[in-house]
Amino acid sequence: MSVELKIACFEDIFQYEAGEKSRFSDEYRQLSAVILLDKQDMASLGVKDGDKVLVENEISKIVVAAKTSDDEPHAGLAFMINSVWSNQLLRDDLCNASVPGFKGITAKVGPSQGEVTGLSEIVQRMRA
Amino acid sequence: MTTCTGCSLLCEDIELVLKTGAISEAKNLCRKGQGHFQALFTERTKPMIDGKEVTLDQAIAKAAEILKNARTPLLYGWSNSTLEAQTVGINLSKKIGATIDDTSSFCEGLLMERILNGKIPTCTLDDVRNFADTSVFWGSDPSNSHPRHLSRFSYYPRGEKRQKSYEEERTCMVVDVRKSATAHLCSNYYFRVPPEGDAEFLESILTVLDGKIPKTGDKKRLIELGTILKKTEFGVIFPGQGMIYSLQDKMDLFEELVARLNEITTFKVIPMVGHYNMRGFNQLMLGQTGFINSVSFQDGKATHGPEQSVAVAAKSSDAALVIGSDPLSSLPFGTARALAHIPLIAIDPRRSLTTDAAQVVIPSAISGLEAGGTALRMDGTRISFDPITKSERLSDEQILTRIMEAI
Repeated sequence: MSVELKIACFEDIFQYEAGEKSRFSDEYRQLSAVILLDKQDMASLGVKDGDKVLVENEISKIVVAAKTSDDEPHAGLAFMINSVWSNQLLRDDLCNASVPGFKGITAKVGPSQGEVTGLSEIVQRMRA
Repeated sequence: MTTCTGCSLLCEDIELVLKTGAISEAKNLCRKGQGHFQALFTERTKPMIDGKEVTLDQAIAKAAEILKNARTPLLYGWSNSTLEAQTVGINLSKKIGATIDDTSSFCEGLLMERILNGKIPTCTLDDVRNFADTSVFWGSDPSNSHPRHLSRFSYYPRGEKRQKSYEEERTCMVVDVRKSATAHLCSNYYFRVPPEGDAEFLESILTVLDGKIPKTGDKKRLIELGTILKKTEFGVIFPGQGMIYSLQDKMDLFEELVARLNEITTFKVIPMVGHYNMRGFNQLMLGQTGFINSVSFQDGKATHGPEQSVAVAAKSSDAALVIGSDPLSSLPFGTARALAHIPLIAIDPRRSLTTDAAQVVIPSAISGLEAGGTALRMDGTRISFDPITKSERLSDEQILTRIMEAI
């Protein structure tokens, strides 16, 4: 079971602070490798807070933790904090005005039994 | 007293007491600045070649060798460097025929270009504090990105013509795809737009300003928004990456809106630049090349275009120098992957994914703490700062000068 969602990225001061201290800390990973889903999408996927989900598109795939969004209803739209995790899903071919689409990632999201994708795996993919 | 280089507000009123291994006291430092300065004590880089620790001289010599032998070098980063370092960097690019680009090519550059070319009116943050009665945060969330923006300039302070409290004299609006922390502050004036829906929202505002009923959106709220904008005495729009990523090549529409607003009243625009001296790099480049970013000096002349942006140049370059930036974390996978596959020189105070992947790592001093210099605040105001603590680490300017000399 998976659903196709649009993902918009945003900045979070707590995650930023953690990243400034260390990009390699557990704290930074826990704050970054998260996708905020609408209640309705959480129910459709049968996941609850903290469950792992696979987020996959034509660029790459990552496993992150699901969290219920506290925003107004936004079924079909998910949010991720800007980080190396969200950037794995981002196209870099040029948009019309040469800016990558950080606000318009499209990806399939489904439950996962895997662990959150680690930085070492991400680095390995970059070097492959 | 020191200046925080954690974001482009360049707060100059920071008081710090440093003890061995920690900041023991801090005054006026926001959470973002706290993280930035705390990095003084965590995960500092060391001079490295191929993962092995070397002397600084060896690292600089190797960096010079890589750049000298490269046919299509790319010099990237710059938004976290002083004007002095950026000047040396541009000269280095000219000397070796490199492509040079900064972080603005994938964030605020599209808007900054129009500001610096005078197509969109702007003002200083001091003007905002003294005169602004309406602040519009469009695709921006200062509570998370520039935590002291609201308290120092745009909402809470009293200014020359804004002597009463903010509840009486200032209106804060947010246009965003999500109800951000800033949107919660001014929830009466939060306007939700769907992803990539900013152009349609803009057209609706233009329709309302022309006295017509918009075809899409919440008509009642849009008319209310139009009324507030028309009644504004001195308004300022603070666009963030959210608006820019959404509008893309429709930035003319935003220019049209600002021009239309200025037929009715006064409206200025200040881009919510993230890095502390992105604007400095853009202004320096404009003065020297006529372009704000993404320039190649190959063949001895300045060439500008999307092909010279980091997203494309990373794939055609045979070596790269990255300064004060972590593109392997912050850029799309394809660009990061391309950078990870070429000889990489990283100049950075702190360990990052980019320094880990670099063939050569050159540790640098943290601006504002260990190194002085000059930078341009997001509104173009020139801010100079001195170091507050001694460091054996060289500044970006010193490192680049030594690489230049070695080449």
